[in-house]
Amino acid sequence: MYILTNAMKNLLRNKGRNILIAAVTLVIIVSTVVTLTIGNASSKIIEDTRLRIGSKVNIDVDLAERGRLEKTGGMPEVGIDDFFSYAQSDYLSKSIFSVQLYLYSSTTFAVGDDSKGQSEWESWDGSSKSKAATIMLIGSSDPDILSDFFTGGARGIMPGGRMFGGLNECIISYDLAELNGISVGDMIVTTSIFVEPEQTFELSVVGVYSDKTEAWPGPAYEDANFFLFNRRNEVITSLETVMSRGFETDQGMEMHAEYYLKNPDNISKFEAEVRAKGLHPDYSVSINQEELDEITAPLSGMAGITSTFMFIILILGGIVLILLSFIAVRERKYEVGVLRAMGMEKAKVAAGILAEAIIISVICLFIGLGIGSAAAQPIADSILSGQVEIAAEETKAKSEDLKFLVMNGKTQFIAGLHGYTPISEIQVELDAKTIAQISMIALALAALSGVIGIAVITKYEPLKILRERN
Amino acid sequence: MKCLELADVSYRYEGSTEYVLKNISAAFDSGKVYTVVGESGAGKSTLLSLISGLDVCKEGDVYYDGKNLRELDRDDYRAKCVGVIFQGYNLLINSTAVYNITLSMNISESEIMGRRAKKEAAFALLNKVGIDRETADRKILYLSGGEQQRVGIARALSHNPDVIIADEPTGNLDAETESEVLKILTRLAHEDGKCVIIVTHSENVTAIADEIIGIHAGNLIAGEKYRENSAFHGENGHERTKTIRENEQ
Repeated sequence: MYILTNAMKNLLRNKGRNILIAAVTLVIIVSTVVTLTIGNASSKIIEDTRLRIGSKVNIDVDLAERGRLEKTGGMPEVGIDDFFSYAQSDYLSKSIFSVQLYLYSSTTFAVGDDSKGQSEWESWDGSSKSKAATIMLIGSSDPDILSDFFTGGARGIMPGGRMFGGLNECIISYDLAELNGISVGDMIVTTSIFVEPEQTFELSVVGVYSDKTEAWPGPAYEDANFFLFNRRNEVITSLETVMSRGFETDQGMEMHAEYYLKNPDNISKFEAEVRAKGLHPDYSVSINQEELDEITAPLSGMAGITSTFMFIILILGGIVLILLSFIAVRERKYEVGVLRAMGMEKAKVAAGILAEAIIISVICLFIGLGIGSAAAQPIADSILSGQVEIAAEETKAKSEDLKFLVMNGKTQFIAGLHGYTPISEIQVELDAKTIAQISMIALALAALSGVIGIAVITKYEPLKILRERN
Repeated sequence: MKCLELADVSYRYEGSTEYVLKNISAAFDSGKVYTVVGESGAGKSTLLSLISGLDVCKEGDVYYDGKNLRELDRDDYRAKCVGVIFQGYNLLINSTAVYNITLSMNISESEIMGRRAKKEAAFALLNKVGIDRETADRKILYLSGGEQQRVGIARALSHNPDVIIADEPTGNLDAETESEVLKILTRLAHEDGKCVIIVTHSENVTAIADEIIGIHAGNLIAGEKYRENSAFHGENGHERTKTIRENEQ
């Protein structure tokens, strides 16, 4: 106990020297707090993003590989059964399917159809269907993924209605309902086109939704009034409802499948499995690594900067601390000699020096945690804004490169980050893990400082010290 | 009762072939005051270093209470069995006088329990050697040489050791204080049964000795013989020590 008391008294007796050591220690700890806080927050967000986005599997036609092999002709098709087959994998956490097909109805007009039913569509058997409106039916395997319907989304079920649930239930847009005078509880009767055999859908409207999404995929569609693609004409129902009709082929249907891995690291195992199930070699199986990298680029850049800074501070600070400790103990050689002459064991003298170093480190730790945590957020914001600008420039350059995403033999253009944008904000705060890491570093600094002292005092015998002084 | 014994003790500095002390044998009893006299550099301080456990003899043995010092924990021996009053004081100069004493009590695991009790005991001890409370609360740095010497004496007594070793303990004291210190040392020997060994050049100190041990050129000479032989006086012994240390380098 007296060793601790003596250590505390010594700290007060040698203020100048100890303040200098404390200042260096504080600089190291504050820097460490800032860098570790930012680094850990970045890592956590990157990992969360990796699991959220990086777990999504892309099955694309490998155009580069086809080009290299000089392959021509149509793309190899993946059948609906194949999509369902791939979903039967232990590596997946979930699979989401949606199927899209077009309907006509002699009793229901489509939004934007100025002809009011004068359009003619040719059915699969070649017969023309006149005076028919065209409606797009979307069957989804999971209503929860219809993100537009989430709270705050661009679409919302209006009062009096609900989301579809059972077989043959659907929801329609307010515009479509208004145009045709349809209310919740009414039935709409439609017939499929482009698919065989022709199927009739008698769907019960259980909800009407407001829709603030863009009605048209692009200005060209709007200018041509190509109302087939007007989103207000979407009739949304369950996948089960669509698939219950028992289509013999998947011609005329667009299947969209999303596979989510339990762990993105299992991508190669999942690929091996789907290859074994017959996926054509022209298809590539990948996770969104490129997108993930682009999304997390600012954070990765910031984490890199902070790690480098912390490394430099720890090395330089450590060297300065070693030198200061060495000088401090040499200055205290006489004191050590006196204590040893009085009979204090080397281990106790060493414990005293170590206790002084620990006390300084603990005080600096508390002050450093306060200063560091206060400084971490503005520093993170500052570094991140710079990284976001760099990432934005890189993304802009890449966004012009369009990718072909092939689904069921049909192609659609998908540009840029599939709706994701690089992370531009970060909320940094001290968590238990960071505090534990910083405490370990503070203890390591104390140990480093103490070990120097111990090494020096072990070298000298008391008589030699006192004799030199006298 | 025999307290301390030197058996054929010889000492030379590391790397040197010349002996500072040669085949010294002597016995020290409890309850007696011994003075070690001799010219400067004769080996007196080296002898004290060996007795106090600060150094180890190259040949021969030192026994404390019948136990060979080589087999004892020398730190423990210094902390509990001997009290050393250094010629150069060797105090913690940035600490107060009273702290120097209480720290010594702590190191020796004094039987006095509690911080306050130890402090009061330290004040009493310092008062005994002529240091008042106000002076006791000042840092050593601000005390005179004489005051520092008294603090050194108080520290040597702080853990109630069996053997008290003093290297010129009254060198910096005025005649009155010297007299008081000598009384204390005599009382410690004669009343408390301590073994007091004093290295000195002072006739006043030698006068209180129960036994005198003379050292000349590293050899032990009976005290009375030493006194009678004026040829031993005036020789420049420190020059000799210096030469030995230079040779070892």
